[in-house]
Amino acid sequence: MPSWQDFQPFIVSGLALGGVYALSGVGTVVLYQATGVLYLAFGAVGAMGALIAWSLTNAGAPDWVAWLVCVAFGGVVTLGYGMLFGPPLARRGPLVKAVATLGLTLVLFGVMDLLWTANGGQSRAITLPTDNGGFMVGQVQVTWTQVIGLGAGVALVVVTGAFLRYTKLGTAMRAMANDREITATLGVPVRRVEAAAWLGCGVIAGVAGLLLADLVALDATTLTFLVISSLAAALIARLRSVTLTFVAAIAIGLVHDLVTPIQSLSNYRDMTPFVLAAVALLVLSRHRVISLSPEEG
Amino acid sequence: MRLYRRALEPRATVALAAAIGLGVLAGCSSNTPSAGTSPSPTAAASTGAATVRTSQCGIKPGVKATGTPIPLGGIVTNQPGTSFTDIANMANAYFTCVNDNGGINGHPIKYYIESEQTNPGQIGAEAKQLVQTDHVVGIVGNTSIIECSIDHSYWQKLGFFVVDSGIAPECWSTPNSAAVNMGPRYSSDGAVQYALAQHVSKVVFDQSNVPGTGYIAAGPAALAAAAHTPIVQLTENVPITDANSVAIKEVDDAGPNGAVVLNFTPPEALVILQAAQKLGLENRVKLWGCSTPCNTDFLAKALGPKWNHKLFVNAELTPALTGSPAMNLYQAILAQYGKAVSGGIGSFSQMGFVEAQILVHALHTVHGAYTVASVNAAIKAVKNFNTGMLCQPWTYGNYPMHIPNNEDYTTTPDNGHMVLAQGCTQISSVDPQIAAYRKVAG
Amino acid sequence: MLDTASSAAAARQHPPLRRPGPRILVRAAVIAALLLFVLLALPQLLSLYYIDTMTQVAVYCVVALGLGVLVGRVGLVSLGQAAVLAIGAWVAARLLFATTQPYPLVLLEAGLVTMAAGTLIGLPALRLRGLYLALITLMLAGAITVVLATTNFPNGGHGFLGYNGAAVHIPAIRRPSIAASDPAYFRYSVVVAALMFLLVFAHIRTRPGRAWAAIRQSEPAALAAGINTTLYKLWAFALASFVTGVAGGVLAGAVHYLYSIDFPAQDSITLLAVVLMGGAYSLWGAIVAALLLELLPALLNNWGVSADWLTILFGLGVLQVLTTAPAGLADQVPKDLARLGRLLRRLPAGRRERPAPPGQGPAQEPAGGPR
Repeated sequence: MPSWQDFQPFIVSGLALGGVYALSGVGTVVLYQATGVLYLAFGAVGAMGALIAWSLTNAGAPDWVAWLVCVAFGGVVTLGYGMLFGPPLARRGPLVKAVATLGLTLVLFGVMDLLWTANGGQSRAITLPTDNGGFMVGQVQVTWTQVIGLGAGVALVVVTGAFLRYTKLGTAMRAMANDREITATLGVPVRRVEAAAWLGCGVIAGVAGLLLADLVALDATTLTFLVISSLAAALIARLRSVTLTFVAAIAIGLVHDLVTPIQSLSNYRDMTPFVLAAVALLVLSRHRVISLSPEEG
Repeated sequence: MRLYRRALEPRATVALAAAIGLGVLAGCSSNTPSAGTSPSPTAAASTGAATVRTSQCGIKPGVKATGTPIPLGGIVTNQPGTSFTDIANMANAYFTCVNDNGGINGHPIKYYIESEQTNPGQIGAEAKQLVQTDHVVGIVGNTSIIECSIDHSYWQKLGFFVVDSGIAPECWSTPNSAAVNMGPRYSSDGAVQYALAQHVSKVVFDQSNVPGTGYIAAGPAALAAAAHTPIVQLTENVPITDANSVAIKEVDDAGPNGAVVLNFTPPEALVILQAAQKLGLENRVKLWGCSTPCNTDFLAKALGPKWNHKLFVNAELTPALTGSPAMNLYQAILAQYGKAVSGGIGSFSQMGFVEAQILVHALHTVHGAYTVASVNAAIKAVKNFNTGMLCQPWTYGNYPMHIPNNEDYTTTPDNGHMVLAQGCTQISSVDPQIAAYRKVAG
Repeated sequence: MLDTASSAAAARQHPPLRRPGPRILVRAAVIAALLLFVLLALPQLLSLYYIDTMTQVAVYCVVALGLGVLVGRVGLVSLGQAAVLAIGAWVAARLLFATTQPYPLVLLEAGLVTMAAGTLIGLPALRLRGLYLALITLMLAGAITVVLATTNFPNGGHGFLGYNGAAVHIPAIRRPSIAASDPAYFRYSVVVAALMFLLVFAHIRTRPGRAWAAIRQSEPAALAAGINTTLYKLWAFALASFVTGVAGGVLAGAVHYLYSIDFPAQDSITLLAVVLMGGAYSLWGAIVAALLLELLPALLNNWGVSADWLTILFGLGVLQVLTTAPAGLADQVPKDLARLGRLLRRLPAGRRERPAPPGQGPAQEPAGGPR
């Protein structure tokens, strides 16, 4: 059994990983609360935005332009999807809406591989200026980007939580996510609120994409399917609580990394998100049935 | 993913599990060829010089071949995250050049390229397609994570002697495949050998969890055992989402006087090394090593000056910056015929060039009809062929196993470029497979 | 299907109970003729490349069938079927290397073990619904994928796992002695697939099928009617896992070599996509799904079209299916063809008739179209 000294650096890296999962997980849950759609294309949209930013930087554009385009791309694509496929699917259950976003994921994934092929064994990377500075915690260094990643997760939790609860627009969004038709009859400008929700969520996906591309890797496959692992955190929170998602994500990251020095378990540590989610859901559901909507029984 | 490929996928996902043993020596970071190195293929700007240059590939300069085509085939992996099409495309460029300059005794070469997404059923089917539908007489340019494993008995049954850029163990351990590269095991051997020569007290060998990890690990294990140095064997699932823990684990296991040797594709190796740097760990071990995939200027540039002379990479092919006739021809053909080679100058296209060279050399020795029997007999008979791109002359030979490329360079990053750290060095016979090959090949 | 509203509509168009009649016999004859054609004539007509491809189609037909039972008949979306297929292939490979049992026995055993595993995966179904169920099956599939990445597939080694990591020569997984060649193995796989279809068909026509239809329509109502929903839901998982396990065994023999990188968790997503596109409710839909998944890429490969276009196509297909044609291609195409037929028949006479009602919704169409 490794000593406490051995575990120490993994706590730092575990928090960093937790921050990554939190960014992705919280973003997805926030979108769910605002639009009623579990936006599984969150990772793909962010990845494509990051790749576009990479191409722009490579072509000589200034960094801030590239980042702006990445965020704008996230917003535009998500808004477009929401406007096109939101209304026809509005009356269907959350499962159908989530599966529909899987369709968008596939489309984006195919486009990404067509446009940014894995030719010649080269690799792409996004570097943010905050990569170079940092501070020491114990024996390892923490970069500012990691701090920003974690901070972005916290900010997302706090800001969107407050927004959804205390502002008129936020309340309208939550109402719409709950039941679109009744909200419409109450005189809420449904299309506009919907558009605002999708646009906001898209912007979050773009920002998260940029950060994740720096923190994890600029690779379409990795970033697109990172959402599966971060779903674990969202599932533990039963898609209801943004705060719980954040906490769960940090916990998953910590456990994943703390298992690393344990020889017998180390190879299986990538299972951590899945196992934790499955266990949590099974424990939570042992006395009653859990469903998301009346339609699902 | 089974979306050919695989969309989605670690396999596609995962499908990033790619091949090691291939490296990119890139002067180009994205798509621009030859970042400022001299014998510039853009002497093709004056078409006269270029035509003369490229026409060296054929025996009748300027004469287009118009006879019955000689069909050849190749199978390469092409899926999200892993694409070896550059190798086949470069071979095709070479063949096109030959066709424009006399062909093979007046016959043009027709090269069928099949791309696969690491699906065993698909790979088996494509082999049969090449043989039964396209009627190819020779197989060249295969570069696939698993093709050698899947098709080797088929090639053996039909009498095809394949010239490939291998990855799977069977590319070196069967009679019907000879590779121009060293592959993950022997390239890792080279990297570990260099580390051991620097008298490190411990070696940590970390590789991506792709088919064949045990086979690959056996080489470094043997080398470390012979040097009485403890070795820790690690594997990581790719694609790596948490490079931090990987870097910390490697450094912890190696200790201050140890070496960490990586065997990953360039993107994954980059992610690990960058994580080590961001965590401030790059100086916590005596040296870092990497198998051939790390041999790329792009990696050197991305890593930055902190890694100067700290990372030592095994290089299977001669650096593309040397101005030998073969290099000049390679760059000229790339410039004129290599539009489909998206990676530009680098190990991938170099390998494609070498494989095509070997095939053309073999085809020229065929008298009479170009059949499966005659062509493959000629391929098998290739002996001591000087490719101009490898440390040693290349031989196929009639052996039960083939490791014709078993001498390598070591390079190291230096301010954005990979420079030579050690010249051609033989891979040690301590690796039992290398010893076995040297015994049969003499 | 994915939700009770559209599945109720689909169910009304395809009443589960029907008395046998001349239409049924005609249909049976057509299916038999098609089967004979596929078994006897197809191997002669196709090149080995396409025969190998069609063997994969046969395998994935059965996998799509299993998922169709879950999604279309009972309304349970499982995103874990790729992992279930991997388990079936693993068990079959282990048995084929370790024993000399006859092939059908190995397939049966693979099916049974996978059935047990799949039912375990289905246990959460008792307590979770809809999106949660889909996501937890995805989580379980992800976990199994990671385990497989470490344990790998058997390759002739010893021990429980049967994996020899240092193997320089990996032995091929054997095939049945009567079906060693590719065309023969194709026939073998078609026969096995047909048996699996028969098994599922038998389920659908008898009590389980009726119970599933009731559960899909309204689970509380089914409970009130005295149907043991727990049992029948687990039965659905068991059936789907069994056929998928058998398909895994056939896959092992088809490809000869198995690698864990071939069964990523994302495959389940693609599988769901094609099952939706083909039609989760109809048995023909499973065949369409397999053709989309295996034949289309092979064709595109031959035509030099990048496989990425297929990914995009599947994504668009999912979107289209969910927004406009919930019952999938297998249901939509015959309807469109029927509509086209009616249109053509009207033209020469030039009669002014009332246009036929649209294909969706509680239709008054004659109970037509293949099931």
